[in-house]
Amino acid sequence: MKRGLLPPALMILLIVGLGAYAEASHPTFLGRSNLNALLLEAMPLVLVSLGQATALLVGGFDVSVAALMTMCVVTASFTLTPTMSGLALLPGALAVLGVGFATGLFNAVLIRLLRLPSIIATLGTLSILEGASLLLRSYPAGPINGDVVNTLNEGVSFIPLAFIAVVVLAIAADAWLYRTRSGLALRAVGLDETSSRRLGMATTRIVIAGFVVCSLMAAVAGFYLAAEVQIGSPIIGNEALESIAAAVLGGASLAGGKGSYVGTLLAAFFLTEINNVLPLFQQPTEYADMAIGVLILLALVLYQAPELVERLRGAWKRLDRTAGPDTEPSAA
Amino acid sequence: MSNPGPVSPTAELSLRGVSKAFGAVQALRDVSVDCHAGEIHALVGENGSGKSTLLGIASGFVHPDEGTIEVGGRRLTRASPARARRLGIGIAYQDYSHVLDLSVAENLFLAVPPEERPSYGEMHDWAGATLERFELEIPVTAPTGSLSLAQRQLVEVAKALLTRPKALLLDEPTTALGPEEVEHFHALVLDQAKTGVAVVYVSHRLPEVLAVADRVTVLRDGVGQGTHDAASVSEKDLIALMIGRPLEVAFPERPGRDADVEPLLTVQGLRGERFGPVDLVVGKGEIVGIAGAEGNGQVQFLRALAGVEHAVGSVSCDGDAVNRSSPVGPLRAGVVLLSGDRRGEALFPVLSVRANATIQVLRRIARYGVVGRRRERSSIDDLVRQLSVRMGSAEQPVQSLSGGNQQKVSLMRPFLRGDVKVILAEEPTQGVDVGARFDIYGALRAKADEGVAAIVKSSDPLELAGLCDRVIVMSRGRIVEEIPHEELGERRIVEAIVGSRGAVAAGDGGGRR
Repeated sequence: MKRGLLPPALMILLIVGLGAYAEASHPTFLGRSNLNALLLEAMPLVLVSLGQATALLVGGFDVSVAALMTMCVVTASFTLTPTMSGLALLPGALAVLGVGFATGLFNAVLIRLLRLPSIIATLGTLSILEGASLLLRSYPAGPINGDVVNTLNEGVSFIPLAFIAVVVLAIAADAWLYRTRSGLALRAVGLDETSSRRLGMATTRIVIAGFVVCSLMAAVAGFYLAAEVQIGSPIIGNEALESIAAAVLGGASLAGGKGSYVGTLLAAFFLTEINNVLPLFQQPTEYADMAIGVLILLALVLYQAPELVERLRGAWKRLDRTAGPDTEPSAA
Repeated sequence: MSNPGPVSPTAELSLRGVSKAFGAVQALRDVSVDCHAGEIHALVGENGSGKSTLLGIASGFVHPDEGTIEVGGRRLTRASPARARRLGIGIAYQDYSHVLDLSVAENLFLAVPPEERPSYGEMHDWAGATLERFELEIPVTAPTGSLSLAQRQLVEVAKALLTRPKALLLDEPTTALGPEEVEHFHALVLDQAKTGVAVVYVSHRLPEVLAVADRVTVLRDGVGQGTHDAASVSEKDLIALMIGRPLEVAFPERPGRDADVEPLLTVQGLRGERFGPVDLVVGKGEIVGIAGAEGNGQVQFLRALAGVEHAVGSVSCDGDAVNRSSPVGPLRAGVVLLSGDRRGEALFPVLSVRANATIQVLRRIARYGVVGRRRERSSIDDLVRQLSVRMGSAEQPVQSLSGGNQQKVSLMRPFLRGDVKVILAEEPTQGVDVGARFDIYGALRAKADEGVAAIVKSSDPLELAGLCDRVIVMSRGRIVEEIPHEELGERRIVEAIVGSRGAVAAGDGGGRR
């Protein structure tokens, strides 16, 4: 676990560093209202990234999450209309979650039962959901219920309740992942499916659960996206790659079986912070995309540094060896 | 054939009439095995005789086409490793069930059934105590991937025992073990049998397995050759049951050998993760066979020679040291590997026969960088005839050919190159029909007659005996025996593989007691 602490530590360092830098030149940056806005802005990406981390842990990708979030916003614009109130909102909210659940199940069936590579399967789902969203709302229309928006944005002082909840969730999820048998089983399946199956684990069930959780988290993220745009827009979700980026920056391995929910949360927050800071310096947001790309590459190199050093050492030895057959290391 | 007998009421594990085909290959045909409580039941046979498939079926990992599996009188109704475990099957896989990135403790923890599982926090203490119980000195926090192969093998057995099985299946459990570890392991197995566990012990090492087994079942080409009392059956009789496939192919004639052939390929102290150190000299025009039970380092050795697998030691070809840091060095030196994985490594399945054949020599065919289709075609025409490749057209994708003809296409490459000095052939006739086999043997021999050296790794002793000038036998990664031309024969090779002759280094497990 020691090496697992590097990603979260690095993310905290970057968050604080960037925050301090922004505050130094724009003293309003750490003001309550901006912090509140920043935390709320981070919610959709944080939530969907936590889901994405789960998909990565079981050894897959889900690129359909952004389209699913859009679909959830569009669904909400029909099921959570401004005229509703109180308990009448519950079925509407469940409908949104239902869309997420169904999408997760659909992805899982494609991936497990039809044995499609997850990236291809979810790419198909992405197109279907995008089309469906546009079919339901060909242009942004249908305001979202104001009570719902207010509930989602509620907070203690400047900290949104949702943010507190998601921090607790991430810590609990990491504790589960690294401190329980079922968390261990999830990682084992992501690391080596054949061995896991041989050990009698329900590998299919675990992978299906991973993808359903991913989609459900995307649906919850959809609520917060809806709270942000407050209208049924068919073209707003673009978090697919960012969510993968956040999970990877947070320590997840693209090969499966490794990752950290707390690290993912911090990374998602950091990516949002970049987007939030750049306009302060009158920089176009295109720089944000480029910065994210560079950061991912740097982080990956850094996280793999121990293996990289090892590999370079090995390559060096091999060079020695081929230089002359007489200089053999006669190691046992 | 002696008595497989009727279903015995006391049989703890009972496999009845099991058949399984993989594609066109019938891996098992109507095989029945009963193993009683407290019995150690050996399952022996050559490579590919169906032993591992039978264990796969018994453990719920492979679904049988026909037949039933019963454990303690309860039927395994559906192929599922989880169910088989609940019925009381414990299995130690030949290639392990470890998650290498997880620690030894975590692997043990995942293997233990829920009712015996300690709390997560006590995992390390519990794992330490468990390993102590099996007298294994292995750090529980170490990643399983950092263990030696012998340690992995022993931990695999420990994992199987953690399920407190009624029937314990062991698939070649000693391939990585030294003599003392084999002894330790056998003591463990005997203890288990004493407590009433039914043990099925698959091994190709006859002296080892006969030292502890009560009964022996022999498989040959997926067909049971009867069950015998271990005490009353000799190794010789067992070997006679294991071999004896009719000779269905004629082999090309071997040229008379000069006493001292000019050495071409010299291997000194070559060692990789799964083999070594190996010393070997192959002469010009010589075909050397590599025999051995699967998983004893033969494939890794061959691939290391081709620079595909990492290894240290020296290899020289025609007097020059071969750079093996990548496959490029050996290729430049004229060392060509014919991979046994035709679809995955040797061929480009969707490309045409023509493209597959010429892909290594395009530079020579091309003029000013442009490959002339006609020159390309004419360069392979003769070879197609010589190797009698049966195909509709040279433009058809190579994956549409039969296995034998695919192999011939990959064999066209060393012929086209012209600068080949050594051919490393891995299972050159696997999945190849009888007619094509002869063509392949003929092609290899024709190359040898031109002065090329060939090393053929094959799991078929009959093939090695018929084709090769001499055969080396590998066990636990080392050459344990070399069989000269005069002694070559299927029986002689099988005897060497099962270790029934003196030369075996780490054979007799009971010998030190």
